[in-house]
Amino acid sequence: MTVGSGGAAMLRSRAAAFLGAAGVLVLPLAVAAQQIDPMRRAFDLERRGSYADAAETYRAVLRRNPAESAALFGLERALLALNRSAEILPQVNAAIVASPKTVAFYGVAVRAWAAANQPDSVRRVVERWVALDPGDESPYREWGTAAIARRDRAEARRAYLAGRERLRRPDVLAPELAEVAVEEQDWPTALHEWLTAIGQTPAYHSTAVMTLGGVPESVRPDLLRQLQRESDGPARSLEANLRARWGDPAGGFESLSRALPADTTQAIDMLRIFLEQIRGQSGAKAKRAQALTLEAIADRSPGADGARLRLEAAQAFADGGDQRAARRMLSGVAADSSSPPDLASGAAMTLIGVMLSEGKLDEAERKLAEMRGSLTSEDARALSRRMAWSWARSGKLARADSLIARDTSVEGLAVAGRIRLLEGDVRGALARLQGAGPFAGTREEATERTALLALLQPIDADSVPALGRSLLQLETGDTVAALASLEKVASELPPDHGGAELRLYTGNVARAAGKQTEAERLFRAADVAEARATAPAAELALGRLLLDLNRAREAVGVLEHLILTFPDSALIPQARRALDEARGAVPRT
Amino acid sequence: MALGPSLRLPWRWPLAPWLLVPMDDAQADHLKAYGVTYRAVERGARAEWFLNYRNGSFLLPADSASARDAALSGVTTEPLDDPELLRIRAQIQDENMDAIPLEKSPKVAVYAPPNAAPWDDAVTMVLNYAGIKFEKVWDAEVLGEKLKLYDWLHLHHEDFTGQYSKFFLNYAGAPWLADMVQRNTAMAHAQGFKTVPDEKKAVARAIGAYVERGGFLFAMCTATETLDLALASADVDIAAAYADGTPMDPAASGKMHWDRTLAFQNAQLELSPTVPVYSDIDGHQVNSLERRQPLGSFTLFNFSAKIDPVAAMLVQSHRQVIPDFYGLTTSFTRRTLKPAITVLADEPGAPWVKYIHGEHGQGTWTFLGGHDPEDPQHQIGDLPTDLSLHPHSPGYRLILNNVLFPAAKKKELKT
Repeated sequence: MTVGSGGAAMLRSRAAAFLGAAGVLVLPLAVAAQQIDPMRRAFDLERRGSYADAAETYRAVLRRNPAESAALFGLERALLALNRSAEILPQVNAAIVASPKTVAFYGVAVRAWAAANQPDSVRRVVERWVALDPGDESPYREWGTAAIARRDRAEARRAYLAGRERLRRPDVLAPELAEVAVEEQDWPTALHEWLTAIGQTPAYHSTAVMTLGGVPESVRPDLLRQLQRESDGPARSLEANLRARWGDPAGGFESLSRALPADTTQAIDMLRIFLEQIRGQSGAKAKRAQALTLEAIADRSPGADGARLRLEAAQAFADGGDQRAARRMLSGVAADSSSPPDLASGAAMTLIGVMLSEGKLDEAERKLAEMRGSLTSEDARALSRRMAWSWARSGKLARADSLIARDTSVEGLAVAGRIRLLEGDVRGALARLQGAGPFAGTREEATERTALLALLQPIDADSVPALGRSLLQLETGDTVAALASLEKVASELPPDHGGAELRLYTGNVARAAGKQTEAERLFRAADVAEARATAPAAELALGRLLLDLNRAREAVGVLEHLILTFPDSALIPQARRALDEARGAVPRT
Repeated sequence: MALGPSLRLPWRWPLAPWLLVPMDDAQADHLKAYGVTYRAVERGARAEWFLNYRNGSFLLPADSASARDAALSGVTTEPLDDPELLRIRAQIQDENMDAIPLEKSPKVAVYAPPNAAPWDDAVTMVLNYAGIKFEKVWDAEVLGEKLKLYDWLHLHHEDFTGQYSKFFLNYAGAPWLADMVQRNTAMAHAQGFKTVPDEKKAVARAIGAYVERGGFLFAMCTATETLDLALASADVDIAAAYADGTPMDPAASGKMHWDRTLAFQNAQLELSPTVPVYSDIDGHQVNSLERRQPLGSFTLFNFSAKIDPVAAMLVQSHRQVIPDFYGLTTSFTRRTLKPAITVLADEPGAPWVKYIHGEHGQGTWTFLGGHDPEDPQHQIGDLPTDLSLHPHSPGYRLILNNVLFPAAKKKELKT
């Protein structure tokens, strides 16, 4: 270590020499700058963190003009940074003598005496300040703040209560007293003062929720009882928001809805504050509370705003698992003639989508026919595609085909290709899926399409009806039968002409169905030398499966084999990632 | 397990006698490169660290194990024959560079409670990612003098003032905090101390003694600041009432023994029990809304590789300016630094520095402010950082420089 410290010492010594030389060069310029504009120089020094130099420069300004307020405040800032706040006393005393009616100087004096730990002097300055303006609460606030800075909460409370008494206003300085109570963990007093503060200034609501939101669980029931004893709107709103913050959004909405005022604007304000509180929460209960709140706002909002909110409420109901309420919202928007056309169309689409996801295909088709006129042609085509795929999944392939026949868009080709595949038409499916390209539909759909293309491309036969039947079984949810039939089809295809790829596909299906033993067997069967394009993918799938089965050591072996055997494979980055996970080098995803 | 049995391995034993692990922008995974080098040294290979040559490259013998390890880790290597190596050595001789032999893989200990989440500590994360082995130690091991088994000790966001990171009031009721309090209290009692702050001070003293005896200490985040506060406050109550039953001494700042600390002096302590700030050592004060400073970036200093190899090793990087990142202790105010320490990185123009190093007895310590170099606004409950998304992280490289630095100790003493 001698070398290191020697080098550091040498550097320090060089630095010192450099600074010495620089000092000689820079000094005249600095002096010139000071002469030109000392306040600017002081600000600059302060900004650069040279607080001691800044303080001296501010002092020089104050020597010439003791009542120069900007210099006095600058000096206070600089001394605060140096933890020498009390040193401003001579300057602030001089400032008060020079300009005794400038109230801002008294604030500086209060803080300085507090820093000097002289509470008697603090009170004396406060008295002089109060005498200047008896109706002002600022002296008491400054007195209390100074006491808090010294961690003297008792003195702070005395200051604020003195203000209340002498101003004869029991509601004044409530936020300050609330903060003191929070520091002392005196939660009932904190709640009482926050309610007072909100009564005066509603904007304190969010601060109150924030500070009371973190109270220990054990005291929450008492605070709720205390709130329930209050009958006014702000108390209900605070109760609702605290309940939401404490994990009971439904109870929060119930409290709020009981106390909503008749005045629409006030009611919407309260609902919106509550909505902001719960908007980021997840889970069915939170989503339902969000939906109910949105519906309540919508009921008080006319025209397009109301329709938009109902649409949002429908989404929240659906996210919360209440499809019936979602449909109720959507039907209202779609049928409401006052809804803007884009909203009505969106509502109709969502409504039909909900019906499809519930398997009500006939009802959805009737609804589509009924609403087609209010939909844009693009929206109508999109719904037709969804409907075609829904019919196909239910086994009605001809009906599905007829719905999609005239749709030549890439999205239409993607759906048509998958329908062809269910019919066992390998060539027809390939042509359509390739025609759809990589961008049609969602990312998940595009990924699935790519997997299907990888499955179909090595197959020589134009048609494999058994494959179509197996995939249809899969779509209808008969996974057990589908797995058996897919494996049988795979065994009838040569490994390098679809057999290995279909085993890999079937293995992925088995894994998704939770049949890990079958999946492992299929992945191993797909990893054969004849199918060089399939082998790395099979090894990656096997490695990931073993990792999920907490067989990390085996996974490491498989993944290392993959990386070293197929170094040029496009799957290497994913294999390295999985290897890192198997070794515990990165968090599991 | 049979895997593609008829497939032949295309991977080959390299033909050249040496492998250069470049550490400039040609490197595919800077962080794992340290792991490959560490494991080579661990296997007994004679590796070298080329300070300032291509941003701190490594030279490894081109044996099959190193080549395989690099291939599996995705670490870029370049085969090197003897004439080319001679040319590189000549360049190193002529310029501000040096070749440091890496002779011994240091035995690494990480100070953490048994239930510590492996993903909440930057060093643990990067050691795991690079594949460098380490063992966890906690208070019983430290007080039981087991530290002498290790060459390198890491501390992260531990609070050696025994105040549970001052989260006690703000996170009251949180299960993780309750668990932390229960574990620390049980440990303090088991070690014969009445309070957690008393026990943590003893742990801090044991760590100080470990460094004094020749250990390498690397600390980040709030462990830096609280270790020194604990060392300086042997007979001063600096803990809030919730931690030891008595309020903090309001005059504590004036009673501290700064001659016992590693890095800091003359700090003013934060007296409020509710503000998760310890003192004015930290320049950024992230948990004080009134005092919080915005994040900027910090600049690594250049050192002479031949004259000051220790400092040069600690700042090897492919980026000289690095975005700053918060921690409970983010930075170190210049005002509170002891005069003899070496500043390795600072924020130019700011009243704080980021990365410092110094000696204490026979050993050395290095402090890096902040919590997670790739999660600059890290908060409790955040998802773990996935380092495979940051394989070139210059901030994490600084940590790994510290891990390899003890491997070069022998050469450095000889010079």
